[in-house]
Amino acid sequence: MIKITELEKIYRTEDIETSALNKLSIEVKEGEFVAVMGPSGCGKSTLLNILGLLDDPDGGSFMFNGIEVAHFNERKRADLRKRNIGFVFQSFNLIDELTVFENVELPLIYLGVDSAERKKRVEVVLDKMQIMHRRNHFPQQLSGGQQQRVAVARAVVNNPKLILADEPTGNLDSSNGNEVMQLLTELNEQGTTIVMVTHSEHDARYSHRIIRMLDGQTVTENLLV
Amino acid sequence: MLKNYFKIAWRNLARNIRFSLINIFGLAIGIATCLLIMLFVQNELSYDRYNDKADRIVRVVFRGKMNGGGEIKEANVMPPVAQTLKKDFPEVTDATRIRDYGMPRITYGNKTFKEDAFAFVDANFFQIFTIPLIKGNAATALLQPNTAVISKEVAKKYFGNENPIGKVLLFKDQNAALTVTGLIDEVPANSHFHFGVFASMISLPEAKDQIWMASNFFTYLLLQKDYDYRKLEAKLPNEVDKYIGPQLQKSMGVTISQFRKSGNNIGLFLQPLTDIHLHSDLTGDMQPHGDIQYVYIFSAVAVFMLLIACINFMNLSTAGASKRAKEVGIRKVMGSDKKQLITQFFLESFLLTGVAMFIALGLVYLALPVFNNIAGQNLGLQLKNNIWIVPCLVLFSLFTGVLAGSYPAFFLSSFNPINVLKGRFISGKRSTGLRSGLVVFQFFISISLIIGTVIVYKQLSYIQHKKLGYNKDQVIVVEGTYWLGKDQEVFKQQLLQDPRVISVSASGYLPAGNSYGNNFLIYADNNSAQLVNTLRYEVDDNYIPTLSMQLFYGRNFSKQYGTDSLAIIINETAAKTFSWNQNAIGHTLTRQDNYGKKFTYHVIGIVKDFHFKSLHELITPLVMTMSNNDNSNIIIKAKGKDMQGLLSSTKNKWDNLTTQSPFTYSFLDDRYNNTYKAEQNTGLILGIFAGLTIFVACLGLFGLATFIAEQRTKEIGIRKVLGANVASVVSLLSKDFVKLVFIAFLIASPIAWLVMNKWLQYFAYRIQISWWTFFIAAIGALLIALLTISFRAIKAALANPVNSLRSE
Repeated sequence: MIKITELEKIYRTEDIETSALNKLSIEVKEGEFVAVMGPSGCGKSTLLNILGLLDDPDGGSFMFNGIEVAHFNERKRADLRKRNIGFVFQSFNLIDELTVFENVELPLIYLGVDSAERKKRVEVVLDKMQIMHRRNHFPQQLSGGQQQRVAVARAVVNNPKLILADEPTGNLDSSNGNEVMQLLTELNEQGTTIVMVTHSEHDARYSHRIIRMLDGQTVTENLLV
Repeated sequence: MLKNYFKIAWRNLARNIRFSLINIFGLAIGIATCLLIMLFVQNELSYDRYNDKADRIVRVVFRGKMNGGGEIKEANVMPPVAQTLKKDFPEVTDATRIRDYGMPRITYGNKTFKEDAFAFVDANFFQIFTIPLIKGNAATALLQPNTAVISKEVAKKYFGNENPIGKVLLFKDQNAALTVTGLIDEVPANSHFHFGVFASMISLPEAKDQIWMASNFFTYLLLQKDYDYRKLEAKLPNEVDKYIGPQLQKSMGVTISQFRKSGNNIGLFLQPLTDIHLHSDLTGDMQPHGDIQYVYIFSAVAVFMLLIACINFMNLSTAGASKRAKEVGIRKVMGSDKKQLITQFFLESFLLTGVAMFIALGLVYLALPVFNNIAGQNLGLQLKNNIWIVPCLVLFSLFTGVLAGSYPAFFLSSFNPINVLKGRFISGKRSTGLRSGLVVFQFFISISLIIGTVIVYKQLSYIQHKKLGYNKDQVIVVEGTYWLGKDQEVFKQQLLQDPRVISVSASGYLPAGNSYGNNFLIYADNNSAQLVNTLRYEVDDNYIPTLSMQLFYGRNFSKQYGTDSLAIIINETAAKTFSWNQNAIGHTLTRQDNYGKKFTYHVIGIVKDFHFKSLHELITPLVMTMSNNDNSNIIIKAKGKDMQGLLSSTKNKWDNLTTQSPFTYSFLDDRYNNTYKAEQNTGLILGIFAGLTIFVACLGLFGLATFIAEQRTKEIGIRKVLGANVASVVSLLSKDFVKLVFIAFLIASPIAWLVMNKWLQYFAYRIQISWWTFFIAAIGALLIALLTISFRAIKAALANPVNSLRSE
């Protein structure tokens, strides 16, 4: 599903160049659950941003479902993103002014789904995430675990092929964290590919494969299953 | 999608209610001011355009330059001009006249009123001007002598609810009756004349005079369609030679060419009807008119005000950007492209502008009566009559929305989603520079307006306190005293017995208000080739002491000298014009009347120059002759504080002597002040607008200070941990703004100086613009800005550094 080859990303300030990704090559197959680990600054977030089409690489190739997407313009990237990719963030990133229902509905709005269909799909996914009873609440009225469940619901509501999770349990206590990891595992079992960046060895164990990074390169790849 | 945008816009407004209120309120003030000024400007520009043939009507005016006597610029011309031009030029389709007849007394049954809006007009008047008759026939109503068309209001006053047609009003001045033959609703408010009674010109004997040496008739020509009036104007000098020439020679003994050779010139000119209200510099107009200068000034203020409010909106929106950044990031991650975000922010801006527009309409509605009162206008906001206002308001809202919303829309939508979601919210140097530029612009306008206002006020105070050469204080003018007839002397004597009265004089000539216009062509010591135009005051022997004027040389008029009917007192300027200076006493001045009869006067005194025209104009030569016939006013110099008591006892005396006409009076200082009404109104309005722009600009500054304080939270935290105190943090945050205000001041000063200096040129007597005016404006703006910023800065400085550092 994802194939990156010799991917490079360089951050420049006035007199310093930092290489965040250094000729990185990774492949992720459809249906895989991959965890990316490594110390701060190793380039894992940069990788996730590029995989999520939020950032351009400076060199190398990025094939998504067999299409070279490394140099897509913003509009094409936005289009590909909204159809194929769901995001889960450490800090949930829900829009505070929208209710639970409206937050989850948002990706469907950008996909142009009509209102009746949106309602149906949001309700199904909220039900699945067991957060239906909170549908009219605003994010700040929810616990961290609940907020992350909403974020996961939002990530999956448009049935993306790929979910990118950036430390999804980083802001949660262990029981809420486990719950979220359980959710991701279930999604993966239903066929969704997942790439997750994490610091937690515990969370990483839920994945099929751990990619360890250092200084913008892969160091080891451990197959867990 | 739209619903989602509006929902989030609305919730954002509600969540940051304080911010939203500042934003909306600032915008509403800006829009309201702009709307108000637009109403005013629209009204000013609409004058006389209600006439269907407005673009074909011109007014004939009389202009001249006289030796030593300055300019003659009369709005009215001689009686035969209308018919003569119609006869001589085929391009003149028709011609009509108005003879403004002052305040004659009109009686119906037992009701008598001084009719202050009374005119004689030619029979074709209502065919040239578009004032529809509700009753009667516009073509025939004024064909017969002693007929009149009246307004509804006048009809109601005399006849109540009865049908006015056929009713007869007694017009005592002419000892004639006026039969009402037509009824109009009223003359539109945006007309350069307003009369309630239009009497038939054929009733007025002087209308048929073939005199080309006296101007009294407002004369309008209806030209052929699309005919350029300038072509006709170019032919008018011939008419002057042909008709005025012979009469000039007869009365002055000089031919028109000799007259011109000795430095004089006179001529007839044309003025388009639609130019009268805003472009007229003529004397003797039927009512005070506007000035295109003020239309420009206020239009500029309107544009500036709107810009300031929009800049505010931009600054406040971008100030709140850090709060919106996360949303932008999420939306982008969810698949929104930049265009959709721009649309969203524009919609928000339209929503806000829409709300602000409604508030602004409310503000305009509330402010209109006050504004009308201050500006002496009669503006309205009736949607019923001005349905065009609705699309205009919608367009105006959209325009404001785009103006205010464009920068925030592009700015916010350009955020990098990764950075904002990671909490790395960095605003680029470019946008900071732009914001600083916007603040400089706001303060440039505010400071310019402050400087302008201070200068206007200083000039007004100069006018108020200038030594005028006479004393206008505690002087009562009792008007229309010819009604007393022979009892006038009794009235005067009775007044003199009142201990509150110092002296009493009878004269129709007053140095303040609208009373001058009596041109008097004279020559000195039998040198008839050197004609000088002067202004003549016909006064009695008490005039000079009553108005506390000063005699430089010679003596005042006195009843003890039997020869004083041919004595003359001249002002300093006249003495200089005749090159006599202080040696004027004993010289003679000669005037020829229209029939060539000579009158030679002996100079008996020189009166110190006094301002008998507005301070817009230089003092010109003036002469005073003694007359016991001109008695249209009684001028009373009073003392003590009991003015009200004096007025009521004066009224009693009046009522005892005559029942023919009601007692009317004015104060000389009020008449004086009314001359500068336009300037006073402008000063007041400018002051209010300057205040409002400063206020709105400060709202923006407050927003920006909030923004900067938020951005520098970490820096402030670190500085405090390292030992910075509150004062140093406040100064850190304020320093940049002080710089901006100072830059604004540097730009504003020369521009304001140029504009205000130009404005002052309209006054012949004016103040010098002093450096401290600018200093006051700079200090004022700086203080206000500092107060605004320090509120925010102190709050930031007092915050616990631990919290701000943890937020990283």
